Amino acid sequence: MEIVTTKSNDVLSIAVSGRLDTITAPEFEKKILELVTPENQKIILNCADLSYISSSGLRVILMTLKKVKANNGKLIICSLQESIKEVFNICGFTSLLTITDNCESALSSF
Amino acid sequence: MHLSNSIDELQSLSAKLEQFGEKQHLAPEMMFNLNLVLEEILTNIIFYAYDDSNAHAIELNIALENENIEIEIIDDGKPFNPLERPEPDVNQSLEARQIGGLGIFLVKKIMDKADYLRRANKNILTLKKNLNTKS
Repeated sequence: MEIVTTKSNDVLSIAVSGRLDTITAPEFEKKILELVTPENQKIILNCADLSYISSSGLRVILMTLKKVKANNGKLIICSLQESIKEVFNICGFTSLLTITDNCESALSSF
Repeated sequence: MHLSNSIDELQSLSAKLEQFGEKQHLAPEMMFNLNLVLEEILTNIIFYAYDDSNAHAIELNIALENENIEIEIIDDGKPFNPLERPEPDVNQSLEARQIGGLGIFLVKKIMDKADYLRRANKNILTLKKNLNTKS
């Protein structure tokens, strides 16, 4: 699991790649929750290179969303791979989160 | 295959599963789902099944027969039926949603069939999935 962040204008983009599983989720949790601050109201989580997620990763996504909402911010998830999208569907995440097909539409969804 | 009750075993699980998938020519989506299901079950056993801190062997059998994936996971932990864990309400609002509890729920949703048995002081979980059913 690796994350790369870029801030452009007022949008923070977090690109996560690799696997979000029981082993990597604690590190992801620490890093992403540090990035969710009142200064970062608009956040895009780019999942184009995220190849795998388990319930440990889903848990962190939910925590992140709750923290962003507590700051009155907005979190948009973009470019989910098909199998991960299916997991999001099963868990009811699709109705909780704003999910877009690509980063361009994420940017225009704020 | 035998795994020990250490979370690092999840890495060898992925590697071994990869070999199985290549040999059986399984589709990437099926590999993803099997990896997910096995991680959830094993994590559950490793975190909750043992009251001591000793090493325990967890037996994992996986086979493909007549287009059915059959998985058997056997552990010598305390009696525990993971299938009886309360299911999360996935239709709840964000405010009301609990953070955890999705693992076993995903296992039940992805697999076609899941059965638990306690026999000879062991927990035996069997899971089945047809290659042609959607998750």
